[in-house]
Parts: sequence; C-alpha cells; structure tokens
Amino acid sequence: MKKIATLLLSAGLVATATQVLASTPEEDLQKFRAYFQEKFPGLKLDDFGNGAYALDENKRLQWESMEEFPPYEEFVDKGREIWEKPFKNGKSFADCFGPDPSKVRVRYPHWDPETKEVVTLEGDINKCLKENGEKPFKWKKGPIAWLSAFFGYEARGQKINVEIPNDPDAIKAYEHGRHFFYAKRGQLNMACADCHVKYPGHFIRGNLLSPALGHVTHFPVYRAKWAKKSKDGDGLGTLHRRYGGCNKQVRARPFKAQSKVYRDLEFFHQYMSNGLTINAPGYRE
Amino acid sequence: MKRLILTFGLALVVAGCNATTPEKAMSLEDQYKAALARTQAAVKKAASVEGEWRDIRWKKSKKRYLPKAIEAAKAGDYQKALKLLSIAEFQAKMGYEQAMAEKDAGPWLYGL
Repeated sequence: MKKIATLLLSAGLVATATQVLASTPEEDLQKFRAYFQEKFPGLKLDDFGNGAYALDENKRLQWESMEEFPPYEEFVDKGREIWEKPFKNGKSFADCFGPDPSKVRVRYPHWDPETKEVVTLEGDINKCLKENGEKPFKWKKGPIAWLSAFFGYEARGQKINVEIPNDPDAIKAYEHGRHFFYAKRGQLNMACADCHVKYPGHFIRGNLLSPALGHVTHFPVYRAKWAKKSKDGDGLGTLHRRYGGCNKQVRARPFKAQSKVYRDLEFFHQYMSNGLTINAPGYRE
Repeated sequence: MKRLILTFGLALVVAGCNATTPEKAMSLEDQYKAALARTQAAVKKAASVEGEWRDIRWKKSKKRYLPKAIEAAKAGDYQKALKLLSIAEFQAKMGYEQAMAEKDAGPWLYGL
C-alpha cells in the first residue's frame, strides 16, 4: 500500500512539474502581467513603460524635466536623415521596410519560418544595407541606434504586439529566451529576473530597479551613463547593448549583440510587454 | 615472532625502495601545459551551456585570467601563470555547475 502511495505521489509530482514547464507563451504573459499589477497596484498598464520613473516620485520629476528638452532628439533627427538618404544604387531603406516609417517598429521582433530564426529590427537594418551593397552598421550604438530610435519615435503611441506562432521551433526560441531570462548566471549568481521580477522598486546601490514589464517600450534608449562615455554626448544604445551591460554587471560573459541568445531573449522579453504603448526612445540614467 | 620480523623487514625494504626511487617531479612548464589544457577544456564546456563567466577571457574584462596566464607563461613566469589558470579553471567549472543547476529555470521559480 505504501509503495503504491509513493508511486502515485511521484507520478503526480512529475505530472505537475511537466505541466509547469509546459506553460504556453500566453499563459506566461497573463501570469507575468498579473504579478506586476499585483506588486504595484497603483500603476496602470502603460505606466510600466516608464520603468523606475513610475515607481518613485522624485525620480519621475527629474526624468520629466529631462524629457522637456530630450537629449536624444538630435540623434532621432540623424536617424531620419539616414532613412531619407538614398543608397549608392539609388534605392533606400523604404525599399526594404516600406514607405511609412511609423509602421516599422511594431513588426519586430518576429519569427521567420524559413530561416527558423528570430528577426530583429536591427538585424533587418543591416540586412537591408548589405543587400544594397552598403557597409552594415555596428550593432550596438551609433547609426543603427539612431535609425532604430527614429523608427521607435515614429511608432510612438502604437502597441507592442509580438506574435509567437504555433511552430515548435518558434516556441523553442521563445523558451530559450525565457530560460535565459530566469536562469542565474555569472559570478554574482543573478538572473535578469532577480533584479527585474523579484526586486523592482528596490535599490541596488544608488539605482532603483525597474520592473521587467514595460522594459522594451522605450528602446533604443538614451542613457546618461552612455552619453558620459561618448565623445559627442551620444547616449543612444540598442536593447542588445543593454543586455550585454546587464550580463557584464553580474560578471557573466556577455554575448554578442544580435547573437541567437540575445535575439531569443528579445523575442521573450518583448512578448512579455505585449499591449504596452511604444514610447521610444526613452531617457534613462 | 619469526613471521612478524619477516613482515616488518619486508615492509622496510618496500618503504626504502619507494624512498630511493621518487617520481620525477613535473617541471613548472609541464605543470603549466597540463593546467592550460584542463582550463581550456573547462572553459569550452562552460561556454557550451552558456555558462561562461566574465573574467575568464572576455576581451573587455580587466582580469582576463586565461589570456594573462598565457602571457605570463610566455614571459617565463610559470608560477604566476599557474596561479591565474587555477582561478580561470575554477571559474569555468563553477560556470558549468551553475548552468547545470539552472537547467530548469523558469518563471515558476519566481512564483509566476
């Protein structure tokens, strides 16, 4: 009798574990959103797009004063110039992305059923350049971030709407990104989720941790820290630049921007903010 | 009694033989070569599970234990090279262990 009870209990545990591991993207999204809304009951869904500034009144006031004369504006203008400038072959980015720049940002990231890979906006920017005989941009900052910021700026007010198709390979990529987000790594043994799921609203040294919900709405981002490092005050950087910085901070080896790992992470990360309003580019400390 | 003396004598002979034929000590260079091979294998293993840590060999790290060990060995400082390799190997092994421990990580671990 005891043996039977043990067997049944084990079978039950295995079944439960399998069920938990097999949660669908949609179930993940519902739980993720509910978790943050319960954790910060005073915030509306779109407030999460303002990151840590939605959580602290003083910081919010500082941020709002920065946004009055946004330091990223000149780089958005540079992005617009890149968009308008024809390639040597006479074509332009509009030949790759369509004539309306406001319709570009919302299409990314997406799953490509032919290559079986996640396609990002920055990936397609460089693909377009290469296909037209131009030299591709560097991945993390500079022209790629300016053009991406221009697309983000043009898409302001639209909702993030990433689709995870019912394709086993797409689900695998999503789960890979999800695993990366929740797995502890580096010498400090910390996961993305430790800072941005478990402890948003807490301070890590002098920095207020932001919730993961809404993270991606304001990317590419203009960071004061990055501006300080650059010669011309250009603080714009892509989402993958930020991923690399986070990994470095927990003393894990960062992956290359646009590597499969970071593209899959972006697939999961952006999907978790579905339904939130794009407010890119954003200003952050 | 006779047997006891014989056994004791035999033990002494064996011990004496061992004492007079010690294993040839590995040179520092050989120790370095062995440690380098071990460390490189451990790093490769950690990287294969996305578990490599920052300071082992990443080009922007200030520590870069593995490349610095190789530099030290090239300069003939095998003691320093061995010390750096031992840190790199430890970190690589820990990175792998960590990745294995986190194999099933997911939202369920955060109550989601």
